[in-house]
Amino acid sequence: MFDFLFRKGIENFVGVPDSTLKQFISHGLKSKKIIITTREEEAIGISAGMILAKSPTLVFMQNAGFANSLSTITSLIQLYKFPLIFLIGWRGFKKNDAPEHKKIGQIQPKLLKDIGLQTRIINKNNWKKFSSWAINKMKNGDSCALVIPREFID
Amino acid sequence: MIRKKAIEICIGEIGNSPIVAANGFISRDLFNVKDKKTNFYMIGSMGLASSIGLGIALKKPRKKIFIFDGDGNILMNLGSLATIGKISPNNLIHLVFDNSIHESTGGQPTGSDVISIEKIARACNYKHVFKVSTKNGIVKILDKIKKYSGLTLILIKIEKGNSIGNRISKTPKNIKDGFIKNL
Repeated sequence: MFDFLFRKGIENFVGVPDSTLKQFISHGLKSKKIIITTREEEAIGISAGMILAKSPTLVFMQNAGFANSLSTITSLIQLYKFPLIFLIGWRGFKKNDAPEHKKIGQIQPKLLKDIGLQTRIINKNNWKKFSSWAINKMKNGDSCALVIPREFID
Repeated sequence: MIRKKAIEICIGEIGNSPIVAANGFISRDLFNVKDKKTNFYMIGSMGLASSIGLGIALKKPRKKIFIFDGDGNILMNLGSLATIGKISPNNLIHLVFDNSIHESTGGQPTGSDVISIEKIARACNYKHVFKVSTKNGIVKILDKIKKYSGLTLILIKIEKGNSIGNRISKTPKNIKDGFIKNL
């Protein structure tokens, strides 16, 4: 998926690590296209700067971090209309996930809907189709989100 | 020296370089002193001016990018200094207008009179760190760094209290689109 998005024109991948996304991030780190930040809002700010310099960018984070970032998404990305793709790992998707993920995991779809960020939930069968969907959104000047549910418990 | 005066002096030295300005009175003062297309006024998302500046600097390595930050803003996103220092772009100049208060929200203390922002910057791998509080100090340092390369922070101590500048009359989308076109 990383290579696919890169070939489709995403030049930068900025975010905070998440275990659901670890293979994606490890792969990106090898090609030195990834910047790891301390918090998710920071990643969104750096991405906005890169887009100001006309360089297409994706941010990645866990849904806990997405919840941290709600105000930044509404008052920076949506307010100024930055075409940014969010890749979000969804903890608390499975009912028996760790307790700290339960509440945010439950309200994750509603949070996305309430702030009006168009979203596709991706899996191993549809990721290519929805990655292309996200690229098209970006090219049309819109932000959007791809959400990967965490299907495993470790 | 009040903030608006300090901003006037800085603008006199840095000319037409791109600027990312923190939210609140810093953006307003910059807008009222000298509006231009390559000013990015961050009207919300407090704390992120330095992150936005980093993103631009990394993608435009041949241009000097200026951040106009405040003490409240920088303390809200201290992690940004770690990320900026970790990458350490040569073309990023971080100006911090420090009055030790959140002036835009009514003058509540930030604590920057007790902690040392310049020490934090040094510890975060900033290459050049300066602290100034006078007109001559600002002019001298901004002139000096014209010949420098390397991540720079200039802490500018300013006085509390100021008249409130007019709000930015451009729409956020216009600010962004104008910046992209003219960068």
